[in-house]
Amino acid sequence: MDPIFISLMGIALAIGVPIISAAITIITCGSALAGVGTEKPELLSKLIITVVLGEALAIYGLLIAFMLLSKLSDITTMEAANKALISGVIIAVATISAGAGISYNGSSLIGATAERPETFSSNVIGVVLSEALAIYGLLIAFMIIGQI
Amino acid sequence: MRDKLEEWNGILASQVVSTEVLTKCSDLLSKIDASFENLGLKHEELPSKEVPITKDPIEEVLAKVEQNLAELPVEAITKCSALTSRITQLIEILGVKPEETKEVILKKPVEESLAEIEYELSEIEKTAETTGLIDRQAMVDRIKTVAAREEIDVHKKLAEFARVHILEGKPFFAKRLLTLKKLVEKARESIEAETKLGKTYESLLTLRKIVEIEKQVAEEQKKFVRSAKTIYFEAWVPEYNVKEATERIMQVTGGTSIVTDEPPAPDEKVPAILKPVPSYLIAFEKLVYSFGFPSSGDINPIRVLAITFPILFGIMFADVGQGAIFVIMGIILTLLRRRVKLEEVGDIIQYLLISGEMFVFLGISAIFFGFVFGEFFGPSGLIHPISLGKIGPFYIGGFEPTHEPMKMLKFAILVGAIHISLGLVFRFINEIRHKHYKLSPIPICWLWLLIGSLYMWAYWRGISNISKWFADGSLMLAGLIILPLALILVFTGIAEGFMEGVGFSVEVFAETLSHSMSYSRLMALGLIHSAMNYLFLVLAGVEHGHFPLESIPLIAIGTILVMIIEGLVVFVHTLRLHWVEWFSKFHTGEGIPFKPFKHT
Repeated sequence: MDPIFISLMGIALAIGVPIISAAITIITCGSALAGVGTEKPELLSKLIITVVLGEALAIYGLLIAFMLLSKLSDITTMEAANKALISGVIIAVATISAGAGISYNGSSLIGATAERPETFSSNVIGVVLSEALAIYGLLIAFMIIGQI
Repeated sequence: MRDKLEEWNGILASQVVSTEVLTKCSDLLSKIDASFENLGLKHEELPSKEVPITKDPIEEVLAKVEQNLAELPVEAITKCSALTSRITQLIEILGVKPEETKEVILKKPVEESLAEIEYELSEIEKTAETTGLIDRQAMVDRIKTVAAREEIDVHKKLAEFARVHILEGKPFFAKRLLTLKKLVEKARESIEAETKLGKTYESLLTLRKIVEIEKQVAEEQKKFVRSAKTIYFEAWVPEYNVKEATERIMQVTGGTSIVTDEPPAPDEKVPAILKPVPSYLIAFEKLVYSFGFPSSGDINPIRVLAITFPILFGIMFADVGQGAIFVIMGIILTLLRRRVKLEEVGDIIQYLLISGEMFVFLGISAIFFGFVFGEFFGPSGLIHPISLGKIGPFYIGGFEPTHEPMKMLKFAILVGAIHISLGLVFRFINEIRHKHYKLSPIPICWLWLLIGSLYMWAYWRGISNISKWFADGSLMLAGLIILPLALILVFTGIAEGFMEGVGFSVEVFAETLSHSMSYSRLMALGLIHSAMNYLFLVLAGVEHGHFPLESIPLIAIGTILVMIIEGLVVFVHTLRLHWVEWFSKFHTGEGIPFKPFKHT
């Protein structure tokens, strides 16, 4: 197969899938946030963290896609093309898992904080740990791109 | 005391505050507020005055207040305002031009004249409505329907109507209305002259304060318990106020009370006294307190956060140009805050205004790291990276992150290790302050583990040579990683039991690894920031630090976009690093702020 085509597939995965996971996260957390905002608008400023962390997933995908794009002229062998594809797959899987974690934990966190605001500091752990999953994927994808 | 009520059943009972008193307080408050509203004033805007605190029973004070309230000439003034607004409305609808009228005098007492004016006004209003002076279209429609039914010439009728009613009626009404307006004004003047309006406001304000204080006292009394002749209550008092509080209670009760000073039990939750911070740190205070309040005796991290927060933000948002924009924006917001009343603006504007100084802090840090990483509106090549030095394999500045990401990653991990170490030092200080001497070696061992593993990572050139860690470097591994972990297990075991020790040391190992790794987002977001700016630089055709004139609009759009989206994302990630990775070391956020009882 054509190395350029394979690496383009990697780029498509790297930008497409994180965007979908970011969208799912923002849809779940954003609608939960809107509900709480009508009752307790003073909590919105700290609960917005869930939506922004979801948005960051798309940015990780953007970074990997961007780095692959800048390396596109160097990709001539099949080996390099495979690395490009795999790094796209890694960031896709990592952001999907992080997105699932944030959207479940985030919407629960929002509901729980509305009921008892003092539980926020311990409940936020679930959201930020899920978000860390994406960072691990990003790191490895990043190192693979460094070897191309 | 209230939780001991069951134990003391039959001897102690909770203090009963009649609901009547509370309802009456609320009633009076709403009445007074309504009077203020009728007078066209807000009680918040008037200067507050000290109100003497009386020892009389609540019921008496409230009755007195009610009596005073009835005596105030609020009603007449309210009526005057209502009449004036009605007349003005009518004048506006009719389109009457103000003209000179004769001087008027009130022939009867104020109350009577006001009643007469009101009667006349309603008559005028009625007439104006029926003759079509107010709503001419409705009148025309009515004439048209009548005309259609009775087959009269519409135009003729209309002309007649206009001549008789509108043209002839209007001047008469206008003159009368103006006279009435003058009369009302006169009436108001005479009321004001009689009673001195300023004094009315003042007494209203005083009454309001008295009721508020009584209400507060009644609310507090609900928390007391009592026997037949004695009242008991408990309260938190700051250590430095104990003597004064005791003396005051003795003074008030005439020496017929017993005050005991009980220090809190070891595992009791003590309210923390939160010192107010200077106004330029308020934004940082909000960041800390929205996570949770520090426990009593713990370090309050606001001042340190005010330094570390901008540093981490600056590393991710490194840019000389955009940092300068932040600084300018911050200065403008700070200046604006002194002119704008915070209560009058919307939520988002309020946040922005409060965080004026924070923007300056963040901007200065962004400019600094912009020089270190050589970024001016992205990696435009205008500024060359300035190196600040090199610690082992860690380069501090002097490289472009987009070209040498691995150096940036190492730098990010180093910053993270320093940040976490700071948190661990605070944890140590907290343990010493709370006299938890058995737990105090744990942060030291943790610090040892953190610095040790960082050293090993640097010494063996990264994680890829991990097999050498166990072969050549086994002694080092034992000394720097296994020994501190074992010590943590032992110390926690001594303090809290063996199983807790095992769990905690595993947790420490996992946290050390994952929390340091988490700081790699400094690199990731820094690169993203740089890459997004680079995109606009390429689109605008900027090369080697030369900005052509036609590139400016595109760069401006890009800058706005990057500053809003990236700024928000970077801000939240900085917040997250502080809330999770840093606070989890020393700031549990489970404290309760101490709210002293005082008259508001």
